[in-house]
Amino acid sequence: MTAAPRYLQVRFALPSDPRYLPVVRGAIAPLAAAIGWDEGECRAITLAVDEALTNVIRHAYGSRPDGLIELECRESADGLEITLLDNGEAPDKANICARELGCDQPGGLGTHIIREVMDSVSYELSDKGNRFVARKTLRKTP
Amino acid sequence: MKISVRDVGNAKVVEVEGDVDLGTSPVFRRTLFEALSQAATVALNLQTIRYIDSSGIATLIEALKNSQRLNKEFVLFGLSPAVQEVFRLTHVSRIFKIFQTEQEALGTP
Repeated sequence: MTAAPRYLQVRFALPSDPRYLPVVRGAIAPLAAAIGWDEGECRAITLAVDEALTNVIRHAYGSRPDGLIELECRESADGLEITLLDNGEAPDKANICARELGCDQPGGLGTHIIREVMDSVSYELSDKGNRFVARKTLRKTP
Repeated sequence: MKISVRDVGNAKVVEVEGDVDLGTSPVFRRTLFEALSQAATVALNLQTIRYIDSSGIATLIEALKNSQRLNKEFVLFGLSPAVQEVFRLTHVSRIFKIFQTEQEALGTP
């Protein structure tokens, strides 16, 4: 028998269909709360994960609903790590850009939100497809 | 997401309830654009929005720009905590006219 994991890990395998987004959102906020974030931060983390999934649906799969997205949420010693894997179009790093703050253009908001909420964000091409990793550290108040 | 529109004088008040995300924002957009084509003022009640993502915020920006093109008024009121959080993250508060209540939004007593 394998030892119980020290930290919480949650994995989803979902189609690239927006109707499954509420299912993931419903799991992320309680997970973030269990790690120790307050209500506002849980909302923000949920939003960041949702935006990352939305980017995969829109850009990697071109809004096709039949692509595979694998999401892993892993509690770490000091916070949370989110990993997304997909087999869609590889992102053009030059085009992954956050919008200018406070302007009246609708594009680039999702990427801005992810970078604003999470402490680190990376994109890479692996042998399993496109890999997106975002981390956030829980800052404990003394 | 539930969305409805009612007439208040010459204005239309759009009520949204639930989640606005990639899946529901096309209906949200269509409703706002239709209301803007039919009334001089459209006031959007955001009090019962439980969740809104960047596609919902982008829709609000598009509706605002459409209202400016049509020389009409597009105002927001009753921002829920979820909406306030996303507005804070995206720094879009300054581009909208935002009110506490429907009466303030429509300038009615």
